[in-house]
Amino acid sequence: MTISQQAPAPPAAPAGQPPGPPPAPTPPAPATGRGRRRTVPARIWTLTGASLVAAALLFGATALSIGNAREGLQVIGHDAGPQVVATADLYFALSDMDAQVANVLLIGRETSLGKGRQQALDRYDQRRAEASRAVLQAAELALGDPTEQQTVRQVLDGLGRYERLAAQAILLDQQSQHAAGPPPDRVIELYRQATDLMRLDLLPKAYNLTLDSGTIVRETYEDESAAVLTGRFLVGAAGLLTLALLIGLQIFLARRFRRVLNPALLLATLIIAVFTLSGMLLLGREAENLRMAKDDGFNSVLALSRARAIGNTMHGDQSRYLLDPQRADTYEQVYLDKSQSVLYTPGGSLDKYYAGVDKVVGEWPEKVDFLGFHGAEARNLTLRDQRPAVGAVLTAYEKFQQQDRQMRRLAVAGQARQAIALRMGTLAQSFESYDKALVDLIALHRGAFDGAIRSGDDDLGGWNVIVPGAAVLAALLIFAGIVPRLSEYR
Amino acid sequence: MAGAALILAAAGCGLGGGDQQSILDKEVLVVGVKPDQPGLGLRKGGEYEGFDVDVAKYVTRKLGFENVTFIPAPSAQREKMLQEGQVDLIFATYSITPERKTKVDFSGPYYVAHQDTLVRASDAAVIDNVRDLKGRNLCQVTGSNSWRRVKEERKVAVNLVEAPSYSDCIAKLKSGEVDAVSTDDLILAGFAGAETRSVKIINAPFTDERYGVGIKKGDIDGCEAVNKAITEMYQDGTAEKLLHKWFGPTGLNLTTTVPQFEGCG
Repeated sequence: MTISQQAPAPPAAPAGQPPGPPPAPTPPAPATGRGRRRTVPARIWTLTGASLVAAALLFGATALSIGNAREGLQVIGHDAGPQVVATADLYFALSDMDAQVANVLLIGRETSLGKGRQQALDRYDQRRAEASRAVLQAAELALGDPTEQQTVRQVLDGLGRYERLAAQAILLDQQSQHAAGPPPDRVIELYRQATDLMRLDLLPKAYNLTLDSGTIVRETYEDESAAVLTGRFLVGAAGLLTLALLIGLQIFLARRFRRVLNPALLLATLIIAVFTLSGMLLLGREAENLRMAKDDGFNSVLALSRARAIGNTMHGDQSRYLLDPQRADTYEQVYLDKSQSVLYTPGGSLDKYYAGVDKVVGEWPEKVDFLGFHGAEARNLTLRDQRPAVGAVLTAYEKFQQQDRQMRRLAVAGQARQAIALRMGTLAQSFESYDKALVDLIALHRGAFDGAIRSGDDDLGGWNVIVPGAAVLAALLIFAGIVPRLSEYR
Repeated sequence: MAGAALILAAAGCGLGGGDQQSILDKEVLVVGVKPDQPGLGLRKGGEYEGFDVDVAKYVTRKLGFENVTFIPAPSAQREKMLQEGQVDLIFATYSITPERKTKVDFSGPYYVAHQDTLVRASDAAVIDNVRDLKGRNLCQVTGSNSWRRVKEERKVAVNLVEAPSYSDCIAKLKSGEVDAVSTDDLILAGFAGAETRSVKIINAPFTDERYGVGIKKGDIDGCEAVNKAITEMYQDGTAEKLLHKWFGPTGLNLTTTVPQFEGCG
């Protein structure tokens, strides 16, 4: 912001007046008789001063609004935005840790099931490392908010306790050398403590952290995009005012000095006109870039990441359902509840839900007769290639639910071994395809997000030179336009 | 440079925020609660009391309100009351559902209740979970769907005995006309109240009922502020204190850590 430097208050103009009705003619000169000769330079100075003030407003408003746009892009695109998305990974990593522990306990000493016990243990370690990294991100985002910081601390403490319980359960399970299926009661008891800690305490907090930190992005977006749009209006108003004053000056000079055109002044007018127009266009584009980054990118990435994390917990609930027969009803119920938050169709039991999913996925894309995360996504098709990507997710989800139905049928029919084999085999594969389709869809939105931020950054490129450059040039040209005329009065 | 200062002020700040009105801008807050739900929201004389009421008082105080008016929010009218602005917030055993979310927004949940079963203390040893109700009499409250989850969704062969209200069910349970009452655990605990010797909750939860705070659709600032207050209610131990105050004596398993929020907007 270089407003005052660019607008040296001209000597005869009452300094610092807002543009408006040009100030009253200069007070009559003390000397008499030469009144007319003295008023002309004074009026030139007045008009010039007013033009310079108006131009200063124009350049100042532009610089400020560009600052707003830059700030918005920085926070949403480079600082908080990506970090918020990273905290969504915390939930995912935690939930997968718990799912892998359940798998380890369910597989027991068997070696022929799915990818096997060792791989589940490896994945547990990998997720634990990811969770630690994500906690660090969350801690950084929570700076300055004591409530959030407290939540981060509690998650860290709880994670320590969880790891201890999980390690005990795994060790005890290993010693028992049981066949695939429910482990001994002592193991189940330990795992219950672990999974309750995870599902009732840690996962909710991790989820809430993402929601809380998303606030920063939303508020920044609302503030900065409103400021950019207001700025665009101010730029337009100040630009028009400057143009009106410069044209007034041009006409005044033409009448007084009987010249057709003042070329320097004309050039200054042109510069102001072009600058105003391109400034307004730029700010309009930046507001749109911010909107796209926020609505089509960030919001969708975050919502779908949450859906993905919940999906992962559902997959874990399938293992827990087989692992702990006494709690099977509860795990089945939470599975249904989570399914309904991912893709909602009415129905209080899984049987009704499976049928509902088959129906609504079959009707898509003619009809979007479902709610939940996938419903919101399917209703909001804004990106190229989004429709097939959503279609792939829905189809894979339906397949996953069909396999789930089969697994539960086997379990209820007493074919526990087949149910476990299905869970570790085909069902795991169909979950992976669903997860992959979801990751692709998230990547699509991530691309839109990155694209909007990049185009926002690119559009701003050069403007920190253009604004002062145009300001200095316009001021110089205005002076170049009036100085020769004033010199006629020396 | 007064003009420039004006623009600075206008462009720099002040213009942020949505155009949506927020409850946070109000002077007085109107909160909808249940008038007839012991332990949760109950009108006694001119005053309301219960867990929902205490949570509402805590949250509104955290939001900075000293003037709060409580009014009854009947189940069937909750969405309408919020949409028409008759109430600002609803704390009334208001379960978050996807259908309701199309009409109103939800802060919280501030508690996740579960459907559970209340039996006579003498039967508590033989009834471990809902499947043990097979062949027994289950109370069916007119207009409530809770029994469906047992008989239709869990396919447990129970005999239904109709009753006009849950307090009537409790009376029938004690007299032996029914063997079990099944609905949200907090509601059961509220009705069971002091009767802890004669009746018992079996602690076999089988659904999640996420009690949310209803708020007008689009008031994201208000919704997030309520979430923050709920987080603090759990962090400073108030939630645990209130849960034990209202439901402690019944032997119900209470969750004293913050629930997973629904998310605003």
